[in-house]
Amino acid sequence: MGCVVDVWLYGALARYGGDAARPSYANIKVQLPDGGTVADLLAQLGLPSGERGITFINGQLSAMPGLQPDLGHLLHDGDRIGLFDLRSMWPFQYRHGAAMIPEMASAVHGKEGIRHSYERRPRKEAS
Amino acid sequence: MELASTLYQSPYYEVAICATRCPLNLAETASLAEYMRETLEAHDLPRHFQARVRGPVLSHHRFKVAVAGCGVAAEYGYANAGIVYNDLKDRPTRYSGRGGLGSVMASRGLKFVVVDPLGAPGAAIADRSRFEQGRKKLEEALLEHAITKPKGGLNTYGTAILINILNEAGGLPTRNFSSGRFEGAARTAGEAIFEGNKQRLGRELYNHACSPGCIIQCSNTWHRPDGSEHVSCVEYESTWALGANCAIDSLDDIAELIRLCNAYGLDTIETGGTLGVAMEAGVIPFGDGAAAIRLVQEMGQGTPLGRLLGSGTESVGRAYGVTRVPTVKGQSMPAYEPRAVKGIGITYATSTMGADHTAGYTIAPEILGVSGKLDPLSPEGKAALSRAFQATTAFIDSTGHCLFIAFAILDIASGFEGMVEECNGVLGTNWTNDDVVRIGAEILKKERAFNEAAGIGKEKDRVPEFMKYEPLPPHDQVFDVPDVALDSVYAEL
Repeated sequence: MGCVVDVWLYGALARYGGDAARPSYANIKVQLPDGGTVADLLAQLGLPSGERGITFINGQLSAMPGLQPDLGHLLHDGDRIGLFDLRSMWPFQYRHGAAMIPEMASAVHGKEGIRHSYERRPRKEAS
Repeated sequence: MELASTLYQSPYYEVAICATRCPLNLAETASLAEYMRETLEAHDLPRHFQARVRGPVLSHHRFKVAVAGCGVAAEYGYANAGIVYNDLKDRPTRYSGRGGLGSVMASRGLKFVVVDPLGAPGAAIADRSRFEQGRKKLEEALLEHAITKPKGGLNTYGTAILINILNEAGGLPTRNFSSGRFEGAARTAGEAIFEGNKQRLGRELYNHACSPGCIIQCSNTWHRPDGSEHVSCVEYESTWALGANCAIDSLDDIAELIRLCNAYGLDTIETGGTLGVAMEAGVIPFGDGAAAIRLVQEMGQGTPLGRLLGSGTESVGRAYGVTRVPTVKGQSMPAYEPRAVKGIGITYATSTMGADHTAGYTIAPEILGVSGKLDPLSPEGKAALSRAFQATTAFIDSTGHCLFIAFAILDIASGFEGMVEECNGVLGTNWTNDDVVRIGAEILKKERAFNEAAGIGKEKDRVPEFMKYEPLPPHDQVFDVPDVALDSVYAEL
């Protein structure tokens, strides 16, 4: 039977939206099998998980750059998933106290939560 | 007066006058120049300039002056008038925006301030090698962090990078704080500005510096369909206040609203907050960009309705009997919904400025002195963090660094050390990382003492009442941080 989820792809990820892609975002409905997860959704979109950063499921933060505890999260019919490219940011002081999925909440528990990026050390770009 | 006439015709001064002398038509450069000439001569400034400059004065870059002015909004005494600074390309677009500061300036008869560094002694640096060592560390951190590096988040999408994020989070105040999500948000976001400029210009446009030597370079511009520049800068707060908060989803309308705010010297957050309440009251419909532009023009013209709107969000709420008025201490709330992002709600409530999104930037948790003691998600933990964040921010602000260095130095410890070493190099002090919060707290205590002497005590440290009983979609949450937690922010400072 499966389920249909509402997917928003922002910035550089808009290109994974196929025909629905606008220059700066894409909004598409994606059919998933029952028991489908975030990983299944990414596979169906052809979107490598490492290309996405901040992610939301129904307005709840589920992933950040360097921290992706949501790959096994079950998706349900009507869920809204927002996926951002790696340039996006959400500084701690502007997300402190905002909703998170339980997997994300436990991943950032304690002082590890107070970061702007969860990559251990941002990579130096070749000059 | 040959030199002086060259001076008056320079685009810099025309722009400066625009920001300081309205409601004259912006296109009326002849009368603007005449006003400038009269003003300069009244204060014997042409002779001052002639004595310091060899040859003709062509532009302020050669002459190296900076101008801070207040606009017509300040001349009318509006509560939402700011002090306007010209940027590196002479645009009157950088602000001491909030709290009606422009009106304070204008009420003293002060039209503009010209800063001329010629002959000034410069900043004394006690230990230059130490300063340079710190500067290099901080520079490396800024060039490395994903948010602050060239072609990184801020340089590409500007601060409006946060529109889609807060919208997905359900924390983007929409239609005068009646929802946390706006269906048109993606059309007003940083990504849309970047891609829209690319379509209209035929090339990628990265952002520019608002002050000399800036590494982050987050200031954007928006271009018209013909490729000409419409306005700079479309900040997150501006595209939200005049966009989602008013249900306006056209970047061209938002750009025009920002351009008018810059021309009149209006703070964009307060102006957007005011328009949102006016729309709630039915003065114009939500989403009507053309009508919003007309209302801001009325503010510039000083019509009776324009003057009412210029008196700010809270006053307009009172005048029209609106109870959903998003203010703290009379200042309109910025673009983070306290019912969805409760940590910043505490900062909004307790900041000495009133609702202020720039009062609580964060640094490394081991410096803050709060980690491990309290659950950061409990009301008490959030209050303790807000206190530490506000102290940190007071320190960074007082050093003269841009607050956005906080993005890099939170995650890169050497950058944080660099900031402290820079201060030690300039001042000859021996501050350690631990001194940052202590010194910041001392600053906050002075601000607080000022407020209390002015009759603004802890009973004003509250979010508006409607946020306590009106659930905000899509999360359907109220602001449930108890008053005792809010009071603890300053009680335990």
